[in-house]
Amino acid sequence: MARGGGNRSRLLLVILLVTALFFITLDLRGVSLTKGSRSVTQTILSPVQRTVSTIFAPVGRFFGDVKNFGKTNAELKQELAQNKLLKGALAMDADTKGQLTQLKAVLDLAGRGNFKVVAARVIARGSASSFSQTITIDAGSSSGVHPDMTVISQNGLVGLIKSTTSTSSIVLLMSDPSFKVGVRIARSQSIGVLSGLGSTEYSLVLLDPAGTIKAGDTLLTNGSEGNKPFIPGVPVGAVVGVDNSADSLTQTATVNSYANLNDLGVVSVVLSAPTTAPRTPLLPSPNPTVTVYVTPTPVPVITTVPTPSPTPTSSPKK
Amino acid sequence: MSPVRILSTLGFFFVLFVVQESAVSLVHFPISGFSLYLAIAISLIAFEDHNGAIVTGFLAGLVLDLSPTSNAPFGQWALILTALGFLFAVNRDSISDLTSSPITFVIFVAGGATLSLIAYLGFGALLGEENGSFVHVLIVLLGNLVWTVIFTPMFLPALERAREYSLTARER
Repeated sequence: MARGGGNRSRLLLVILLVTALFFITLDLRGVSLTKGSRSVTQTILSPVQRTVSTIFAPVGRFFGDVKNFGKTNAELKQELAQNKLLKGALAMDADTKGQLTQLKAVLDLAGRGNFKVVAARVIARGSASSFSQTITIDAGSSSGVHPDMTVISQNGLVGLIKSTTSTSSIVLLMSDPSFKVGVRIARSQSIGVLSGLGSTEYSLVLLDPAGTIKAGDTLLTNGSEGNKPFIPGVPVGAVVGVDNSADSLTQTATVNSYANLNDLGVVSVVLSAPTTAPRTPLLPSPNPTVTVYVTPTPVPVITTVPTPSPTPTSSPKK
Repeated sequence: MSPVRILSTLGFFFVLFVVQESAVSLVHFPISGFSLYLAIAISLIAFEDHNGAIVTGFLAGLVLDLSPTSNAPFGQWALILTALGFLFAVNRDSISDLTSSPITFVIFVAGGATLSLIAYLGFGALLGEENGSFVHVLIVLLGNLVWTVIFTPMFLPALERAREYSLTARER
């Protein structure tokens, strides 16, 4: 009996493994059945994600806020007193204001480049059970969004549209290990390829053997044919370290992105970019420096008026 | 496994998948993310008998393959979790009963989740998928292991009770 049961288990295992391999083969050969199933799943998921995102977003940031636990008691007491007053009324307001700030900034960037954009809210992040780095946004084909469009945030490049449904799209973030973008160094106009590493750092390989990279160099997208998937001139990041090893043919460097991919609330999908010159590159504006003008105020003259010292009054002796 | 049981398991995995993709993935975990789906799926695989573990693994993988954010081909997770189900089935005696040794059970679930991610990476590498730098992969694996060890004891008793409730008298 045990042997029979064991054989049945093995037969079942073989059947299921072959079925799985069959699905993999179908997918790799580009059969639309498997791709269609994922598209249907995304269509089902996006309304749920949109609802959950609205309710669950503050809870999702819980772990990020844990670091604030080290505040002093006085600060905490002050915060608690303020929270008491503002709680409820401002719970949603803060979130909306944050998104509005991001939206204004991203529209400002798009406006400077004369891009036609559609703004979208981030409603979900990629699953932990896969190593791909993605976000889901609440704009889809009904808003004019199609695969292979550039996605930007207030600070620069975020990624590109991977797939769409009518109401949502999946964005492949630039930190994904499979992500590659042609970039050009603003200073020297040398071109290279920037690759995601799955973390906050990126790898840049210069295509020009004679080209040079310096720490602090600004990288901009080089653009693609027909502006798909990348429009030219979008700020990508800054070089933070240069690898000068003698055994490599071209220079490589480590890059930090301008866009903070962990803090995306609102992004913009570039529907179209100007096709005629001038296509001004969107060089990141330098951090605003605070200029303080000090105008001397007249020193207040303190005039002391002698006040009569109280003199003891003595009652006349009778 | 009866057809009704297969359908109910498939439905359960789909609901779990929606929760994972909509809510759990929104949480910014320190170190790296946590896959509630993998942890529960592997716990259910460990609860099952020989054939049940293999079928549960296949069903769990099939639903996980529906993930629209995944770069891997459809069927990769089904392959990995079916093989893991078989591995659990043949080592079932070592896993022991949840009630008698919960710590061993949690270690098996966390180890199983990590093993499945490593197998997923390895198979993906064979197919030419890019999964990032070694350090990044190590952080993801370590993060998932830590969070699985922390969270599994929280849902395990409820999961066991729910499973017992769903079994028919014959299956018990």
